[in-house]
Amino acid sequence: MDLIALGFATLFDPSVILMLILGVAAGMVVGSIPGINDNIAFAVFIPFSFAMPPEQALALMVGVYCAAAAGGAIPAIMIKVPGTASALLTAVDGNAMARRGEAGKALSIAMTSSVIGGIASSLILLVFAPALATVALRFGYVENFALAILGMSSVVGLLSGNVIKGIASGLIGLLAATVGFSLTTGFPRFTYDNVNLIEGIPFVPLLVGLFGIAAMFELLADIWQERKAGRSVSALPTIGSMRLPRDLVRRLLPVWAGSATIGNLIGMLPGAGMLMAIFLAYDQASRRFHRCFAGKPGETDWGEGAPEGIAAPESANNAVTASSMVPLLSLGIPGNSTSALFIGALAIHGMVPGPLLFTQHGDIAWMIIVAFLIANLVMWPIAFLVIKSVSRSIFAIPKEAMVGVIALLCMLGAYADGANIFNIWVALVAGAVAYAMRLANIPLGPAILGLILGPQMESSLSNSLSMSRGDWLVFIDPVNHPISAAMIALSLLLWLLPVLGHWRRSRRAGLSQEAALPAPPRP
Amino acid sequence: MNKLAVMLASVLVGGSISAAVAADYPTKNIDLVVPFDPGGAVDATSRIIAETANTLLQGGEINVVNKSGGGGIVGQTFASRAAPDGYTLLAMTSSVVTNPQMKGASYTVEDFLPVGLYNLDPEVIVVPAGSPFKSAEEFIAAAEKEPLNIVIAGIGTSHHMSGLAIERVTEAKFNYVPTKGFGQQLQAVLGGHADGAFWPMGEASSHAESGGVRLLAIASDARDEKFADVPTFQEAGIDIPIWATFRGWSVPKGTPDDVVATLSDLLRQVYETPAYTEKMSEAGFGPVYRDAAEFRKVIDEYAKLTSVIIEENGLGK
Repeated sequence: MDLIALGFATLFDPSVILMLILGVAAGMVVGSIPGINDNIAFAVFIPFSFAMPPEQALALMVGVYCAAAAGGAIPAIMIKVPGTASALLTAVDGNAMARRGEAGKALSIAMTSSVIGGIASSLILLVFAPALATVALRFGYVENFALAILGMSSVVGLLSGNVIKGIASGLIGLLAATVGFSLTTGFPRFTYDNVNLIEGIPFVPLLVGLFGIAAMFELLADIWQERKAGRSVSALPTIGSMRLPRDLVRRLLPVWAGSATIGNLIGMLPGAGMLMAIFLAYDQASRRFHRCFAGKPGETDWGEGAPEGIAAPESANNAVTASSMVPLLSLGIPGNSTSALFIGALAIHGMVPGPLLFTQHGDIAWMIIVAFLIANLVMWPIAFLVIKSVSRSIFAIPKEAMVGVIALLCMLGAYADGANIFNIWVALVAGAVAYAMRLANIPLGPAILGLILGPQMESSLSNSLSMSRGDWLVFIDPVNHPISAAMIALSLLLWLLPVLGHWRRSRRAGLSQEAALPAPPRP
Repeated sequence: MNKLAVMLASVLVGGSISAAVAADYPTKNIDLVVPFDPGGAVDATSRIIAETANTLLQGGEINVVNKSGGGGIVGQTFASRAAPDGYTLLAMTSSVVTNPQMKGASYTVEDFLPVGLYNLDPEVIVVPAGSPFKSAEEFIAAAEKEPLNIVIAGIGTSHHMSGLAIERVTEAKFNYVPTKGFGQQLQAVLGGHADGAFWPMGEASSHAESGGVRLLAIASDARDEKFADVPTFQEAGIDIPIWATFRGWSVPKGTPDDVVATLSDLLRQVYETPAYTEKMSEAGFGPVYRDAAEFRKVIDEYAKLTSVIIEENGLGK
């Protein structure tokens, strides 16, 4: 308790708390600019942080990290361009709701969900960090492979339409993930003697292309079609009222609880990352929606503006932020690529994350933990301020002008990752491919999951097999690898449930064919 | 005869120009190219050096420039092609030696002139805290009976090669488990999923200090002050005198000698600043200083060791 008080005392130095608030505001803006994300913001900021006292620098980084994950939802909802990769799924239902004239409500759901997810995970970080860190250690290569399989299985929730196209998309992602030096053999694959591809397709520009540039192509196509039809280009949705009705809050409570739990669990597992958490949470929310609300009067379809489709990914991605610090602070193992940058910021100030941080620099360690809680608390008012002031004026800009500006920002963001011109080509090609996939009605989600999980799946599979001397049964060994066995079983269940459900429905339909009821009225 | 005179004259003029350049070097800012992302070991040490160097340097400042990609090749290639005027420095690591052979980089190590070395990171044998192996002898004996699962940063990395080097001088056999990123390697060792790991001392030390892992031997000619009870490889019966990755400065080939001397001297002055050595040690990087000639010896030694191993094991392209 004394130590937590020490954390608060360090944080509540006026200059430190100011940095935290500044970080939250900056993160909200960075997150809401497509093409620029927290990774890039940190890469730019870490060199500057050298001249700052460590507590100020780290408070600012915590603020940016928390708020960027929330800010990405703003452009996702307003113009269907995710500001960060973590808002990829929010764009679907969020933008549909905004087009219905309820942009304010969508933004409000997104921000409230983010804050709830963030606070849940900060509390867990504050109270259970050391205990949970040992859970992370139970994950070896075998468990990591099972985790990747579980992550890939969450695409089932995205395969609402054509299953073959969904699986093809996943395979495209997995294939693209094989580019680069093979970790297992040390030989280059599909690099075509280009040194820029040695470590795989540069990841940040790739994401910028898939989300930012592809969305630009789509906006351009919209504008072109509207012009061809002789209509004037439709304005962007206005934000409107941001009040959340009480019954909506009650309805979303279970989604928040479920998604925050998923986000917390995934966040503290090294190597899983934010995107896997949003896919799993989205999958769960979609099942709940279909069970409880789909087809009822006054309800839209999934993907057409369902509030759960915004609440689930947004609370999950912010639950990842603080929980990704659990293994980092207690063991020195980063939970994801952004939290890994905290290692760099600490190293520059002569500190090493891990158990020693708490004994040698207890004030800093506890300040970071406490800062997560405070950052999420101040995020709520700041989010509304940013939306009401900055966003409202930005989204009053004509669509045509915005396309150019965002395209430019995407290029800049891609280039800033490593200061390499090659990255711009990566972003452009990725954007073109993603747009072509959209035209062919191939969902992008499974491809993204394949890209992220591919390397982890490959290396953990080959390492598991190499250590078990080729025994494939290790993955379902309930004695030595119970976690892996359980995750494989859960993945199987995710695949089988829709099939079983379909089979049951078709049997029931067969029995009651004579007494067929009229379809429920559509809104 | 006439031709020779022209040539002589141009050499003389050229020589005097480069001397003039050096006399008032630097007159502008110097780029220190770090071929890795901000936040890594090379970046952190470079920034710590630049901080002190800029208090000593007259006429310009050292700017750290991150040019990452391709396992360092992108930035290294950039530096190899830069003008040899002393305004582009490369944060040179051991990967410059192996990248041409392993990954087909277009430069060779001869394209760079060593300036000075500031950090040597010897390899250590690491086992989980709960491991049955209490000493390097027990570890090697077990590996002679049955291959041990050893975590390394990747096939063909200096850490993989250090394992291959141990296999050359002992009867031990290792099953290499390549794992990207230090965090995930740490997870495998702390969680007891692997039998051991080959790590640089700089990264292993804080985890050994906190008791999460145990160090069995260090590939250095002398024991580490902080871990005085950890024997050197040779003391433990592994006949490898030194296996260390290095960090230093180099410049493109053709840079005037006096510019190299100025920079080398600057690095020595940095090393003699107490605040600098303190900060480096805190961050886990034992500060050392070797001048240009000594640094070249370290590089040559490393190149000799690794090229044999690369060839014998059929690594690389």
